[in-house]
Amino acid sequence: MSIIYVLIPIAMIFVAIAVAVFFWAVKSEQFDDLDRQGSSILFEDDESESANTKADKSNDRL
Amino acid sequence: MSQDKQCYHCGESVPASVDLTTEINNQPQPMCCIGCQAVSQAIMDAGLKNYYKFRTEPGTKQSELVPDELNSFSAYDLDEVQQEFVHSDDTDIQTVSLSIDGITCAACAWLIEHKLKPLRGLQKAMVNSTTQRALISWDKNQLKLSDILQQISAIGYVAAPYQVDEQEAKAKRSSKQFLLRLGLAGFSTMQVMMFALALYTGYFTDLDTEFRDYFRWVSMIFAAPVALYSAQPFYFSAVRSLLSGRINMDVPVSIAIGGAFIASCFATYHGVGEVYFESVSMFTFFLLLGRYFEQKAKQKASVSSSNLHKLIPLTATLINDKEHIEVAAKQLKVDDVILVKPGEVVAADGIIVEGVSSFNESMLTGEHLPLTKGCEQQVFAGTINVEQPVQVKVNAIGSEQFVSEIIRLQEFASNNRPAIALIVDKLSRYFSAAVLTLSLITYLVWHFFISPEDAFWVTLSVLVATCPCALALATPTAVTCATAMFTKLGIITRKSGVFETLPKIKHVVFDKTGTLTYGRLQIHSVMIHDNSVSKESVLNHIAALEQGSEHPIAKAFRDHLELKRFPVTDVEHHVGKGISGFINGNHYFVGKAVSANGKASTQQMISLLRDDDLIAEVTLSDEIREDAQSSIKQLKQHKLYLSIASGDQSGHVHAVASSLGINDVRAGLTPSDKLSFVKDLQSANEKVAMFGDGINDAPVLSGADLSIAMGSGTAIAKNSADLILLGDKLSRFVDAIDVASKTTRLIKQNLMWALGYNLIVLPLAMSGNIAPYVAAIGMSASSLIVVSNSLRLLKDAK
Repeated sequence: MSIIYVLIPIAMIFVAIAVAVFFWAVKSEQFDDLDRQGSSILFEDDESESANTKADKSNDRL
Repeated sequence: MSQDKQCYHCGESVPASVDLTTEINNQPQPMCCIGCQAVSQAIMDAGLKNYYKFRTEPGTKQSELVPDELNSFSAYDLDEVQQEFVHSDDTDIQTVSLSIDGITCAACAWLIEHKLKPLRGLQKAMVNSTTQRALISWDKNQLKLSDILQQISAIGYVAAPYQVDEQEAKAKRSSKQFLLRLGLAGFSTMQVMMFALALYTGYFTDLDTEFRDYFRWVSMIFAAPVALYSAQPFYFSAVRSLLSGRINMDVPVSIAIGGAFIASCFATYHGVGEVYFESVSMFTFFLLLGRYFEQKAKQKASVSSSNLHKLIPLTATLINDKEHIEVAAKQLKVDDVILVKPGEVVAADGIIVEGVSSFNESMLTGEHLPLTKGCEQQVFAGTINVEQPVQVKVNAIGSEQFVSEIIRLQEFASNNRPAIALIVDKLSRYFSAAVLTLSLITYLVWHFFISPEDAFWVTLSVLVATCPCALALATPTAVTCATAMFTKLGIITRKSGVFETLPKIKHVVFDKTGTLTYGRLQIHSVMIHDNSVSKESVLNHIAALEQGSEHPIAKAFRDHLELKRFPVTDVEHHVGKGISGFINGNHYFVGKAVSANGKASTQQMISLLRDDDLIAEVTLSDEIREDAQSSIKQLKQHKLYLSIASGDQSGHVHAVASSLGINDVRAGLTPSDKLSFVKDLQSANEKVAMFGDGINDAPVLSGADLSIAMGSGTAIAKNSADLILLGDKLSRFVDAIDVASKTTRLIKQNLMWALGYNLIVLPLAMSGNIAPYVAAIGMSASSLIVVSNSLRLLKDAK
């Protein structure tokens, strides 16, 4: 039973990390436009295979 | 018009005479106009074909001629213009917020970002498809703002810089903070509930005190941020209401959260009594959730009704000693003379000193036909000059302008609406006061008469058990679900009171133009007086003559444009009368002329003259909305009394009314007539809903019990309405009534349940007969029942 004295603090650290990630996500405005973020994965994926010529310009930006 | 071909870009049907294509993904696709073709070509040239692959909505039609002013973006590079909305930091990086018209889905946002990316000197481009806004920063040494705007316009969007007003920035900040508080409360609640389960099970088996205390400490660590950070809005609101000498729901909420948390900390520290950490967390989380959705809905509505100040252009052409200089509109002074070119928006209120032209005042009045104005007549900022260049002497600037006045009136009206009796508000005030008094009595009675050491715990269990959370959640959860349903139906709610008012509506009053009709002209009938011409050639001739005009009449003929066979030369615009020109050697005139039978027409009628001989007359009418007929029928089935109150004096109102089956028609009403009409109805104790658009309807919209604007209506009308019907579907209003009556029913059920529960539990708690954990479970259960009852609203979603 005394293992919980170790495990619970570890769980707490995980929760703290999750909260930190959530705060970062909110602060970087990821929740501002849910439509857009939801479909952005489609666009980025396809672009890398079709438009490699522009990759040099876009890889350092959002 | 052919139905078989649709424009690949905008989805509208392609006129038979048009043969334009763009090669998209190695396949030629039909285009309806040169605008769409140019835009789709620009998109393909930039290698952005993914736009067509992933978009979920068609693009916007491009054929509308872009006013000159929008094409000359160079004005935006002027320092005076820029200083208003461009922010630059110490380096050469400048940042601007743009509002972009024409964004229909996420693909548009992607398209704009990627179109801008290759520009040299661009630092950041972020487009938000929900708010239709973009945040762009660039290096001013390498790039000009006008270039950025040009790029955006090349792919078919209209971008204009705007200044984020303070209120909006504040709303955005607070909504972000709300989300942080909510998320934190959510995470913590999950953890605390887990430990609470362990603690409760320990109640029935036996849990070592050592572990019990350990779990309690851990729960406390998780609950602390919730009670200290997430619940802050309740504390502030409670303090505010106490300072203003009133008691609102947040007072007992704050006392319960604060009291339960402090008492639980005390219990944890001393290892005695009970802990309520899970109640504190969950309660806070649920309440925040309700308020977050409420706030989000409100914010969305205010963004979508757009920035009204955008109506006024940023630059104006100042006439100074015969020299024309472009200046920032803000710098204009009274008595300056400005030049307003055709297609331009008037930058300031003023009096015409030279020239005659027509002005489209639809953004102010909702009437779609331009008014002819000449010397000595007043023009207003925000209206569009349709035909000829005019010189205007400024006589009002800034907040003195008509538009600003209107905006102020709207804001005033929306803040000062007769308060719709919010029963819950009143109820909660009495309830809160009652709970506080009873807790105090309980404490005093237990302290002096029963047992002083139990007094605090019994009082706390009174507060926890009767915690008004079910009551507090009863309305917001139902309203939130109803708002979500409305959004799904394409209706934006701007005031939460509508759910109460809607089911009580007895009488619906329509303003004709733009609500029952589209507010755009179409060809109704053609009367031919010269047998040598055909109907089609008459329409082709008129279309050719009208091609360069921005007048709504001209737009009705766009589909008949066939330039190859009807080349026009020497076109002359006769302001307020019509257009003349030569086609194949004959002199033609189209416009207002004497009617063949000399009678005044009840509808819009224009004549075509060849060498001064009348050859044909075309009657135009305002097209009735597609779903108007069926919606009117449905409304009648709901036993609603319908009438039309229109400012239009022509017989067209009666024609529309009789074809729709509305018997009560009042035409030619002034705005104050409309208002007194509505007031008359209200004095007979009837709740009146008013459909309207435009400034002329503003008084009646604020006077009615409920006001509704169409999504395509003017920005000002949308800003003053309680409901906005997106997609312009009248039938949605019928659905809205159904949803609203269901909502009121659910709110009543919720309130009955919450009150009933509290009334039963209160005496038990006061007498000390409620075990603390039962109090906590009862409280949670009562809120869960309320929440799930409200969620039933969403289940019926089609």
